[in-house]
Amino acid sequence: MSERTIARNIRRLTLTIAIAFLVTSIGVGYWSLVAASDLNADPFNPRLIAAVRDRPRGKIVDASGRVLAESVKDGDAYRRRYADRSVAQVVGYASFKYGASGIEGTYQESLIGRDPADLLGQWKARYLGERTEPGSVVLGLDPKVQEAAVAALAGRRGAIVAIDPKTGRILASVSVPSYDANALVDPQQQDIAWGQLNDNKDRPLINRVAQGLYPPGSTMKIITAAAALESGFDPNQKIRVDDPYQADKSWGDYFVRSASGSHGDFDMALAFQRSENIYFAKVGLTIGAQKLIDMAKKFGIGRAPALDLAAAKGQLSNNGSLDRPTLLADTSYGQGELLTSPLQMAMVAATVGNHGVQVQPHYATEIRDGSGGILRTIGGGAGDQVISAATAAKLTTYLVGAVEAPGAFAFGARIAGVHVAGKTGTAETPSGSPHGWFVGFAPAEDPQVAVAIIIENAGQGGVDAAPPGAAVMRAALGR
Amino acid sequence: MIRPRPVARLGELRLLVWVAAFTLAGYVAVVAAASGRFAWYEIVVPIAVLAIFGALHLFLASIGFRGDQLLLPISVGLTGIGFILVERLAPGLLLQQLSWLVIAAGAFCVTILIPRDLSVLARYKYTWALLGVVLLVSPLLPVVGREINGASIWVGVAGVVQFEPWEFVKIALVIFFAAYLEEYREVLSTPPRRLGPIPVPPIPYLLPIVGMWLVAMLVMVFEKDLGATLLFFGIFLAMLYLATGEPFYVVIGLLMLVAGGFVAYHAFAHVAARVDVWLAPFNSDLRFDQAYQLTQGLFSLANAGLLGAGLGNGMPEQIPVVWSDFVFDAFTEEVGFVGALALLAFYLVFVYRGMLIALRAPTTFLQLLAAGLSFIVAFQTLVIVAGNAKLIPLTGITLPFVAYGGSSLVTNFMLAAVLLRVSDITARVRR
Repeated sequence: MSERTIARNIRRLTLTIAIAFLVTSIGVGYWSLVAASDLNADPFNPRLIAAVRDRPRGKIVDASGRVLAESVKDGDAYRRRYADRSVAQVVGYASFKYGASGIEGTYQESLIGRDPADLLGQWKARYLGERTEPGSVVLGLDPKVQEAAVAALAGRRGAIVAIDPKTGRILASVSVPSYDANALVDPQQQDIAWGQLNDNKDRPLINRVAQGLYPPGSTMKIITAAAALESGFDPNQKIRVDDPYQADKSWGDYFVRSASGSHGDFDMALAFQRSENIYFAKVGLTIGAQKLIDMAKKFGIGRAPALDLAAAKGQLSNNGSLDRPTLLADTSYGQGELLTSPLQMAMVAATVGNHGVQVQPHYATEIRDGSGGILRTIGGGAGDQVISAATAAKLTTYLVGAVEAPGAFAFGARIAGVHVAGKTGTAETPSGSPHGWFVGFAPAEDPQVAVAIIIENAGQGGVDAAPPGAAVMRAALGR
Repeated sequence: MIRPRPVARLGELRLLVWVAAFTLAGYVAVVAAASGRFAWYEIVVPIAVLAIFGALHLFLASIGFRGDQLLLPISVGLTGIGFILVERLAPGLLLQQLSWLVIAAGAFCVTILIPRDLSVLARYKYTWALLGVVLLVSPLLPVVGREINGASIWVGVAGVVQFEPWEFVKIALVIFFAAYLEEYREVLSTPPRRLGPIPVPPIPYLLPIVGMWLVAMLVMVFEKDLGATLLFFGIFLAMLYLATGEPFYVVIGLLMLVAGGFVAYHAFAHVAARVDVWLAPFNSDLRFDQAYQLTQGLFSLANAGLLGAGLGNGMPEQIPVVWSDFVFDAFTEEVGFVGALALLAFYLVFVYRGMLIALRAPTTFLQLLAAGLSFIVAFQTLVIVAGNAKLIPLTGITLPFVAYGGSSLVTNFMLAAVLLRVSDITARVRR
């Protein structure tokens, strides 16, 4: 009797073990079959870099054909050499130990001759061991604009990005502080360099253009104005501004402050010229939270741009809603809990310039195969109509006024012979003096370039950021 | 003493031919992939390994052994795979592993020959318990104790020899539990009182085993070895269930495991680290640090695909300490999901044969003993493979027979020998 119960227990335990083996096998199958393609293309997977250790990896070049990254012979193996420190975060690195980042990571497969567009080559590599010659990646970066951007930022912590509003091609991208990627691919230095870069509190590895998040300050007023115009708000209506402002006593000791201590009547054009916080706070309160939330969402705040590098999504507020009147008022002129990346704000300017159509940005423009033929082109999507062309035209007028009108704050962005549309911003930050912003595009009628600039802890905020904006746009326009 | 009459063990011999074939083929493939050629003298090591396997077979046949004919081929087959992997991943350790195999083979033969009557084991159960405790505590003692990779689970003389006592303790623990539970299982499986649906176990009878278990757990927690702690816990639960068939013990045990895990997570940094790594190995703060080993292991699995990269063609050497903790991922990368399933099938057949031996064993003690030992092999395999595949947090337990490690090899050959002894006794009783 008792032997039989033990027999029953043994059988049940064996069955349990068999089931556990089955579950474990499924787990192993998940990693080796289902999750495999993701992991095999993971930029940190050393196999991808090892695949080309004994032969050159493809080149990364800018729009003019200047080589930004190439492989050089180093003993028996090849090592990456990086030419331009100012594009370190964009080009990235391909380290045997620390994986690949930037363009080196995103277009990893193309650079080792396994571009997804080349199915035959991929199949040959996997099953026949035949290696397709590595292709190269062409970036949209224009060396003239890039150089102007580096000079304009002049080593100050911050970022500059210039894009073509019509195509989304990124013409210049600077993120300071930068780093020397050559140290990360040198076996002798890599561990120390990696440790230092990760411990550095200024975070040089971060691409501030797309991954840096800042309060946008007054540049946000473009979105607030767009929301107002699209919901039928009359821009010519005079609104009374008296500094300091609070809507009612329930705000307690909280006030919205005017940058110039204004007392007077403002319409939208004047409010843009003088960057009048109280005007836009009142506009926000008038149209209501939902209109502002919807418009910010349409412009892409809170959503990562479909970029070919890592990009932050930013936020309108901590919980996504604007449920307090003070938060709504603050958000309307760019403070509150808002966080955006410079790239997102450049896209806002580009959208206005491009008659309300937003095109997704991209660093690479072409993938070439080993013999230089074009395998595929990047970008070229149709774009989304974010605001109507009429709204965009009105906003453009106001943004030109913000640069060119007498007494306009963004006067530093003027370019002789070209109408510039732009907006400065001074973003209060808990960490020291405010960040300076400038976003804009030129020529205003038919823009060829849109820029966003952030200078961290700039002494005078937006006033400091407008001249670099002009310099970068001038380079892009060839003036 | 009667001179034993030799018997033919043809089933075993046939299977050993297959083992020899794949061990040799795998070894040659690995060497050739590494150096691009295969010199004749390099065949010496695999031939030596196969000679030992053959000697074990001849030994069993010559003493007229009537036990199971599958366990030895499976055990040495897995050992053969282990040798291929040592040559692949850590060729410098090959000769060391070979000397351990000689010792393991010796231990195997000794276990087969003595004791002549296995019930002796049951009679001295408290001696086994005491021996287990002494072995467990030994790594903490001065002079012989060693701390390696943060775990104080080693005993040895520096530079000469060292081993992990817990590997032997797991067998002692099963013997003690089997003997004790045989004696008291009636009392334990029919609780005298019930509180509603909940049976109240007879506490006094539980005390010795709970005490033994608690000592094992405490010591292992103190020596910071999660794998062994988990194994002892598993043995305890499995043995209680085998003896009583009472799901109540299992439920209570699992609740204790959850509670213990929760406390350990908050009390011990090394436990919390393991769990954090398990939850998010690709987290940017962890992936180059504590999670590096696991993420590299998963990359290995991903590179496996269905058929694998081919022996010698993967990159498993990228995984730190791959030869002990991550042999499974390394093996899978090069032989594919299909090869991994085959390996798991080896273990499943081993466990199945072990459980079959347990079912047929003539006494309750032998039944519990054989089932407990088979459970050890199953549990260790599951814990390390599931850890390698990120199904559970990783624990540093060895993959039986395959993973590099002397104490593991010796104990597992002894374990297989005891199972074979039980099947031999059954065969003689039934005759």
